Amino acid sequence: MNSSMKKLIVLSLFIASLFSSCIDEPIVQPNTYKGNFEALWQIIDTKYCYLDYKKINWDSIHTVYKTKVNLVSTDDDFFDLMAGMLNELKDGHVNLYSDFNKSRYWKWFTDYPSNFNSSLIYNPRYLGDNYRIAGGFNYQKIANGTIGYMYYGDFSNTFYDNNIALIFQYFADCRGLIIDVRDNGGGYLDLSEQLASYFFTQEKVTGYMSHKTGTGHSDFSKPVEIKTPAHKTIQWQAPVVILTNRLSYSATNAFVCRMKQAPNAVIVGDKTGGGGGMPLSSEIPNGWMVRFSAVPMFDANMNQIEWGIDPDVKISLTSADETKGYDTIIERAISLIK
Amino acid sequence: MKKYFILVLIFNVSIVGKAQNTDSQKFLLTTTSRTFGISMPNVIDPYLSPLVYGGFGMNLNQENRRYFKPDNIRYSMQDKLTLSAGMMLNPAFSSEMLYIGANYGWGVNYHFRLTKGLKILAGGLWDVDFGFKNVPRNINNPINLDMATNLNLTGLLIYDYPTRRRTLHLQAALQAPIIGYMFVPQGGASYYDMFQLGSLSNAFHFSSLHNKRGLNQTYTVDVPFNHSTWRFGLHFQNLKYKANNLVFAHNETSVIVGTTFDAISFSGKKKVAPQNFMSTND
Repeated sequence: MNSSMKKLIVLSLFIASLFSSCIDEPIVQPNTYKGNFEALWQIIDTKYCYLDYKKINWDSIHTVYKTKVNLVSTDDDFFDLMAGMLNELKDGHVNLYSDFNKSRYWKWFTDYPSNFNSSLIYNPRYLGDNYRIAGGFNYQKIANGTIGYMYYGDFSNTFYDNNIALIFQYFADCRGLIIDVRDNGGGYLDLSEQLASYFFTQEKVTGYMSHKTGTGHSDFSKPVEIKTPAHKTIQWQAPVVILTNRLSYSATNAFVCRMKQAPNAVIVGDKTGGGGGMPLSSEIPNGWMVRFSAVPMFDANMNQIEWGIDPDVKISLTSADETKGYDTIIERAISLIK
Repeated sequence: MKKYFILVLIFNVSIVGKAQNTDSQKFLLTTTSRTFGISMPNVIDPYLSPLVYGGFGMNLNQENRRYFKPDNIRYSMQDKLTLSAGMMLNPAFSSEMLYIGANYGWGVNYHFRLTKGLKILAGGLWDVDFGFKNVPRNINNPINLDMATNLNLTGLLIYDYPTRRRTLHLQAALQAPIIGYMFVPQGGASYYDMFQLGSLSNAFHFSSLHNKRGLNQTYTVDVPFNHSTWRFGLHFQNLKYKANNLVFAHNETSVIVGTTFDAISFSGKKKVAPQNFMSTND
């Protein structure tokens, strides 16, 4: 090997060393109970968006659960322990997913009256047997054909303009419209915007959204406006009543937040369940996935909507009405429109 | 020394090549290499997961290189297109990541001829990266985009190694990003937030050696057979970049195989084939 070849090799090695990376990668915790606990705790510590708002001392929770981790000997026990730690967040958007179980926090609705009885809405007074179905909506004219009633139980059920146009056409001679989103646990935010857009006559700021910009509990971006546009061709300009209960959650909560600003809308029923933080996902070394609230949303007045949105008219189902086959909340909505 | 001229049909430019039988006129040949690679990628994308995903991938690469002018053989231009895809798993095999990406680059090299059969090409290459990574089980953050443009430093060491039956063309290629611009979302931002509401602040970043370092190394040997020249080699990609307190990495080792040939194309009004070149358009 001649000298020029040696120089070239040395030069190549020098260039290689110059550009080889020395940007430090974050430390990945080992796949042990302790390592997985630390990884999960850290994900929440750095990414969960409501630690300050909910006044949760996450460091203290670390101390409490760290001692418990040392006592765990099975995956089942470890899962339950981590689920318990996550439930300290009191957040329906927080779940731990393993191959054998999914943790959840449901007290945001189980601790409250349900205010919804599905058998009631299908009695002949409301939807009956011959109700129509389009784009995830079950709908029918009620109150002697004077009011349109639409039940929408899942914001994951896609609908299109054509569905809504035909439903509104069917209700054209009605005095008002009831949209029942009780027990609607959410779905796609896009659909909540789309559904709300049919009830606006002009674009309006209906909320704000922020996101975490750093690992600190209060590191948030400047909130950006969430606007609800007015649909160009399909607009319902008669009264509309939105029915809510505690299981109106997440994307449904976002829909109600928009409808609070709609010109002819009234929210009737119970306070929504909340779920104002858009969830993101991450995972821990053993492969379990964690979902957590990461992107907080606010109403038009910059109030948090994580704990729910108060209705304009608060009313609960009464057992007396239930016995008669009446839905107290629908009845109140009918009276408001009449 | 025996010369090889392999003329081929390129894309939709209809040409039929025949060996040039005159030395009076110089034509610029384009050296084209097309390779296919099987790879083992390792990816860290903390927007999607804090864990390292590893698996298998494949890539297709086309690279063209030619001089600017027939009478100046010191400067050459090169362009290359790489399409790559990979399927990876997390260490616990409980989640998968799909990667699909494309990279196009154009650059210029200066040729240093050191001794007979040995030369170094040094220059720069501007490239554009576009790809996406998808972790299907993620909720609201299932996809992260790879978007970047870079000015790279490039270097090639080329050595023609004669053996008893043929001359092997050995090549070592290095490429490293120097400066550029890249898209890196904030770890807490959703794509709804960024692209529906336009909250794109701190999503685009200037990159240089302070936050982006990488080295692409390709070692190949071109082996001429009777009617074709085959390329065999290894490709190592090491890339690491940091923005918004997130450190991303993409390391990949590929075994590549393909062909390389010299070609000439005639198209348009100014690049008309000489009379002794026959085209199916004639």
